Parts: sequence; C-alpha cells; structure tokens
Amino acid sequence: MNELQSIVFGVLTGSFFALIALGISLAWGFLKVINLSHFGLVLIGSYLTFQLATSTGMNPIATVAVTAPAMFALGALIQWGFERFEVSELNSLLISYGILIIMIQVVQNTWSADFQRMDPGVNPYFVQSIAIGQLRFPVPTLLAAGFAIALVLLAHYVLEKTYAGRALQAFGQDRQISSAFGIDHRLLGVLLAGATGASGAIAGMLHALGQTLSPDAPFEWVGRVFAIVILGGIGNVTGTLYAGLLVGAVAGAVTFIWSASVAPLVVFSLVVLALIFRPQGLFLRKAEH
Amino acid sequence: MRDRGWVVLAVGAAALLALPFLRDQLGFPVFYLVFVSGALFWAAQATSWNILSGYSGYFSFGQGAFFGVGVYSLAFFFARRGLEWWVGVLLGGLLSMLLGLILGTIAFRLRKLRGEIFALLTLAIPFILVAVVRLSRTIDGGQGVGIPVPSYPDFLRPFQHFYFVLSVLVALLALSLAYAMRGTRYGWALFAIHDDEEVAEGLGVPTFRHKMIAIAVTGFLGGLSGAVFALNLGHVSPEGTFNLRVPLFVIVMSALGGRRHWAGPMVGAVYIHTLQNRLAAAGFEGWSLIILGAVLIALVLFAPDGLMSRFTRRPWTVTGVLAGVVIAMGLVDVGQPVDRLAVAMLVAAVTAFLPGGKKRRARVGETATTLGGVVPGPDGEGMPLPEVGRPLVTVSEVAKSFGGVDALAGVSVTVSEGELVGLVGPNGSGKTTLVNLLSGALPPTSGSITVDGVDIVGMTPHKITHLGLARTYQIPRPFLTLTVSDNVAIAIMFGRDPKGLGASRDAADAFLAMVGLDELAHAYPSEINLHERQLLEMARAMATGPRVLLLDEALAGLNPVEIDNAIAVVSRIHRSGVAIVLVEHLLRVVNQLSTRMIVLNQGLLLAEGEPAKVLSDPDVVTTYLGKRPNA
Repeated sequence: MNELQSIVFGVLTGSFFALIALGISLAWGFLKVINLSHFGLVLIGSYLTFQLATSTGMNPIATVAVTAPAMFALGALIQWGFERFEVSELNSLLISYGILIIMIQVVQNTWSADFQRMDPGVNPYFVQSIAIGQLRFPVPTLLAAGFAIALVLLAHYVLEKTYAGRALQAFGQDRQISSAFGIDHRLLGVLLAGATGASGAIAGMLHALGQTLSPDAPFEWVGRVFAIVILGGIGNVTGTLYAGLLVGAVAGAVTFIWSASVAPLVVFSLVVLALIFRPQGLFLRKAEH
Repeated sequence: MRDRGWVVLAVGAAALLALPFLRDQLGFPVFYLVFVSGALFWAAQATSWNILSGYSGYFSFGQGAFFGVGVYSLAFFFARRGLEWWVGVLLGGLLSMLLGLILGTIAFRLRKLRGEIFALLTLAIPFILVAVVRLSRTIDGGQGVGIPVPSYPDFLRPFQHFYFVLSVLVALLALSLAYAMRGTRYGWALFAIHDDEEVAEGLGVPTFRHKMIAIAVTGFLGGLSGAVFALNLGHVSPEGTFNLRVPLFVIVMSALGGRRHWAGPMVGAVYIHTLQNRLAAAGFEGWSLIILGAVLIALVLFAPDGLMSRFTRRPWTVTGVLAGVVIAMGLVDVGQPVDRLAVAMLVAAVTAFLPGGKKRRARVGETATTLGGVVPGPDGEGMPLPEVGRPLVTVSEVAKSFGGVDALAGVSVTVSEGELVGLVGPNGSGKTTLVNLLSGALPPTSGSITVDGVDIVGMTPHKITHLGLARTYQIPRPFLTLTVSDNVAIAIMFGRDPKGLGASRDAADAFLAMVGLDELAHAYPSEINLHERQLLEMARAMATGPRVLLLDEALAGLNPVEIDNAIAVVSRIHRSGVAIVLVEHLLRVVNQLSTRMIVLNQGLLLAEGEPAKVLSDPDVVTTYLGKRPNA
C-alpha cells in the first residue's frame, strides 16, 4: 500500500507543479516569452496570502480574491513591457530572470529570509488530512491538485472553444498574419499574461497552504517546472497536465523505491532524453499527429 | 594592432603577479589580495562561459555544472584520494571538458536544435549532477567534503598569496584563450555560427567541430577555475556548489561587459564583484539582487553590446576618468581604496555611455584594390564564354517528399563545366527543393547526387562546399554583425582553398570588386539595400572557390536597372569559368544568360535544352501561359 500512497502523493504534487508550468508554457507557446518572472509572481502570491491571512484573519483560500487581481495586474504590466520593447525570445529569458531576482530580493527584504508559515489557527488545512480507502492525504495537497486540474481544464476549454482562445492560437502560430486578420495581439497578449499571473497567484496560495515559505523557493521550482513544460510540449495545455502527473508519478515511485534524492536524477534524465528525442514534447495535440 | 591585447595581458599579469611580493613595500593589506582573487575567479568563469555562449551564441545556464565538476574533482582526487592538489585541479579541468564534449555530442548532433532548447538542456544538467553527488558516498553522500590546506612552496606563503597567484594564472589562461580565439579562424567561425549557423555551414564552416571546440574550452576553463576555487574553501557541499549563483553571475557579468569582446566578461566581472563587495561592506546586501536584476534588464534593453564596446570608442577618456577619480579621491583622502575604485568605475561607465565618441563604423567610400590583370567589362564582354566540359554535378532519379507531398518525383539532370543552366518552373515545381538537395540542406528521399564524381547524399553541407558547390539564398542572409568585407572573408577562410585570417581579409576585396561592392567593403549589412545584399550573397558564395554556383532567385525583387546590373555580374562570374545553376522566374533573364534550360513542373522534368528551343516547346508554353482556348 505504501508504494501506491507514494505514487499517488507524487501525482498530486505533480499537478501542483503543472499549474505553475501552465503559466510558463502558455506565455512561451503563445507570446514567445520565456517568463521566469512567473515564479516570482507565484512567490509574491504565496507571501501575500500569508500576510493577508495572518494579519486580517481571512480564510487563506479566500485571499485569492485579492491576490489574483493583483498578480493579474503585475503579470499584465510585465507583458506590456515586453510588447513595448519588442523583446526577443532569448532576451525575454534574460529580462525576466532580472525581474525574478528583483522580486526574490523584495520578498526577502519585506518578509525576511527566514522560513514563514501561517498559524494553524489561521490555516486549519495545514494539519488536516483525508483518508481515501487505506490511503491518507494532507488536505493542502488535495486542494492543490483539485485547483490545478480545474484550472488546466478551464484553460483548455478557453483556448479551444472561445474566440479569444482561437485568436491566441492563431497568434501563437504566426503573429504577423494573425495581426493582418484583425487580431489585436497586444491586448490579447496582455490579457493572457494577466491570466497566467492570476493562475500564479492561485498557485502561490496553494503553496502557502501546505508549505513553509522561503524566498528561495523559485529556485527549487525552476528545474521541475521546466521539466514539465518541456515534456508536456511548449504551449500544450493538456500536455502540461499529463507531464505534471507523469513527473509526479515517476518522482513518487523513485522516492519509494530508492530515496527522494534520486528523484531529480531520474526526472532530469527523462528531460534530457525528451529534449533529444522529442523536442516537441511527449504529448502531441491531435492536429499534429 | 593585433598584438596589443597580448601586451595588455602580459603587463596586467606581470603587475598582478608582482603584487604579493611587493605587498609589504606598498602597504597593501592581505584583504585586497583576497578581493582581487575573487574578481579573478569571476573573470575566469565569465570568460569561460562567454567563449561558448557569447562567441557562438549558444546560451548556457550550465556554467554551474562545469564549475561544480571542477570543485568536486578537487574534493575527490585531492581531499579524498590524497593525490597532489594540482592533479586534482588538472583533472577538474579535464573532466569538466569531458562533460562539455558529452553534452556537445548529444546536443549539437541535433541538426535543428534551437538555442532555447540548448539553454534548457544546460539548465537540467546541474540538477542531475547534484543528485549524483548527493547520492554517491564515494564522491560526497550529502555531508559535504572537507578540503585540507594544500602544500605549496614557501616563497608563496601565506596561503592567500599562493591562492592569489593561482587565480591570476587561471584568469590569464582564460583570457589568453578568449583573446587568441578572437583573432583566429576559430573565433570567426563561432561569430558566423552566432549570426546564422546554416549559412556558416553552407560557406564551408565545419560548424559541429567548432561548437565542440568551443564547449570543450568552456568546460575546461570552467572546471579548472572551479577546482582552484575549491582550494580556497575549507568545505564543499552539493548545495553550495550546484546552485544558481555561478550561472547567474556569469550571464550578468558577460552581458554587462559585452559578449563580443574578449575582455568584456572580465570587465563585467570586475564591475559586479566590486559592486557586490562595496554593497556588502556598506550593509546594503539586501539590495544586491535588486541592483543586479536592474543592471541586467537595463543592459539587455538599452545597451546590448555592453560596456566594452563603449569603452573602445573613447579608451583614453575612460582611462583618464578612472585614474583621475581614483587619484582625486586619494588626494582628498575619501574612503578606502576599494571605495575610490568603485566610484571611479561607476563614473567611467557613465562617461562611456555619454553620447558621442568615436564610433567604429563603416568607412563608406574607401576604395579597394581590384583583381590584378584584366578587369572585365561591365557584363564580362571581352572574356569568351567558357567551353562546355565534363559533367560536374550529376543528379539521377532524385525524389524528395515532405509527408505525403512529392516535391520532386524522380528527376535526373547534369551540370557540366562552363555551363549556365537556367532552372525554371512555376511555383511549387521543385526548384528550390532541388537547390536544397544539392547544397545538402535537405537529404533526398531516394536517388543519388554526385559532385565531381563524389556521392554527396548524407554529406554535411560544409563538405559539399569543399567539393566546389556553393549557393546563395533567395532572401539574403548576411552575417549581420560582420562588415560586408568580413562576410566575404569568412567564406575565404573556410572555403575550398582555405586561408588564414589576415590573408582572407586581404583577399576579400577582389571578390567584392567582382560584384561591384568594393565601395561598401566596410559597411554593415544593415546599411546596404536588397540589391547590394544579393550581390554580397554572390560575392560570398564565390569566395568559397566554387566550381558550381547555385543562384536561388538571386534577382528577386529588383528594379529593371538593378536586374541589368545583376545580369552583368552573373555573366562575369560565368565567364570567369564557374558553372552556374540559375533559378529564376524572369524568363527574359534566363533567356539572355543561360546556355541550357531545365524546366521543372510538379516535381518532374518537363523540358530541357537550348533556351530558344525550350521556350517554344508547347508543353512549356502551356505550363506557363495556360492552354490556348482554341487549341
């Protein structure tokens, strides 16, 4: 039963990373921006949730009502800057790296470099767990998985079924042509970046629910999130989710069989293999078969 | 001129090496040696990174991997196995080079590898290494490894002196390699790869080999410097070694100093190291990442060339300001010497960014020497048409399909010495596909292609170029960071009859004269028009020394006057004895120039023969003009 517990726990955690990866993947695929500052938005979101819940006694989940709009605005502002300066794909990587380290330093200066955690009185979920059959899972992990899967499905629906989503897909394939067909790419781009920012705020909230906060957290996410983005296929929403679940399952299985420290070895070897053999991602969308 | 860098390096290294021995006389506290050692470490790491990522443009986030292999080689061979420290240092460099070569073998074999994918691949490597180090009890096991103080000659006592001397030597090696590469064909090949890898390969540059050399040098220097750095640490740990500090800093430093100049990363390293040091000393550690981030963003947006390119515009002003501020602050006795240096560096950087200054730009109007001997007339009149000789290119039964679409469905043609073959056909008939197959850009699905009797199927494009087959691109693809003249010089350096750097640059003018671009030799490609860029394409292809030249719609988009000029140039090239395959839409051009015509339609050979005969062929007329309604 332990191995199943370990794998399912890995899958649940993986879906949380898929949620962060979603923001990176969408911006990369549709806006041609490799946005490392997305990690900063998640980080700031998590600290805002912590601060709001701790100082006002708000339910931590409800804090997204404040943090999501705030991170929407910040994400949109950054994208506006990228559009304004017509930043190339590689330069977006460098600039967003600059933004990320500024964000980390600001968080550290504001909330200190020490570990922070919401009080159990403020955040009752931290210690709760639910038994499913013989398996037992912490509530924050389940919540994270639930939110992540719901948001990925929502993103998938928006991209496939709505006009804005279709316009974004056209934009992702060819900017100039899509502009010629009357798509206002700046507005769409800023809106999409805002939406990924808001998803980052939700990811931050979920992170704050179950983990102790530290300003260095983005550096712990970078590797696994990019692994998921690459394995899932850049800009591929459902692929990102599958990749998150797969990476989680592999990490869970490896953790159970050997130890937690072997997991990155296996996961990143997988990434290297994927980059070599399937640079377009493991999970192709139907149209590309 | 070329040797100035060596003088700077030799004088700089000699002055630094003398420092520990004159320290007492100069009243120089040991703290400053430690400070300079730190700057030298970063200079070595940033220079190492820059050889691969700055010169060739393959952006790496994996400098930490090379650094880490160096650190752990020292920890393993010196601290754990008890070998001599210098054995550990050397093995650190070699193992790190091996890692680079393995990574390169995997990554650079992929023909369509995108730069972003390479960057992410390098991002993943340190995660794998840290897991290995943490897991393996032989290497570390997660507890960290203590590094004992190595034994070293007495005259270098105390340890800070010894470490300082080692740091100087490693930085000197790194900078010497960077400088040496900058001034040779190796460095130029990397610049060409940076600008347009496919074109570089087509001009005869063995791109794979040069990328491997670059990653090997980067790996060796990164590992060597990491191993020396580890001597200075009492204790190394996986987390302390494989973090994002090294990869982040080398990127910011190189961006600040300038990625195209050999000394750029060093200048950036000195700036960032000094800045960090002063911020920490002033209790502003909390600002260091904010300042670094802001510097990175501002540089990428507003000064992508970095400080070094600004310094070289007004070197004496900058040196004067630097020295002046240090001396002035010394006279007034403000701050520590390091504070004075930091302030002077900031003032110098601001001075460098003031508008004006001597810009290294095109010297338009400077005339070049033409080829010795008879200068042919405008359209090559006065030179006889060459004799048609033996076949040079033989294409037999070649087919190429993309998915289910047959771009070419079994075509056999030959091109012989002295011919000018006009290759025509409607859009989608397979003309450009045929050019791409000939130049090796694409492999055929079936059939064989020989150049001068050698089978070229599956051969890399640069080898095909060396057999004597060169091409131009329909949309000109010049190397944007090189002058018109140097665009041609690259092709000479790596062509069929390769020459050294200096000889190639001297020889470039003759090819520019051949196409009439000699007046623009020192312009940059962004400063010339489409017609001139197309002529540059031809000059560059000719500079590889081809026997057969493939001109892929080299006259597209020109006005009538320009077309006449281009026709004259093509005719001149043809009369100089080079066989030409001219892909063209304008039948007037083909008719006027070609000795033979080939018409493709829907991937098949429709007609072949003398232009006049082919153009009156009813099938050809139908294909081009449609059926006559009453026929």
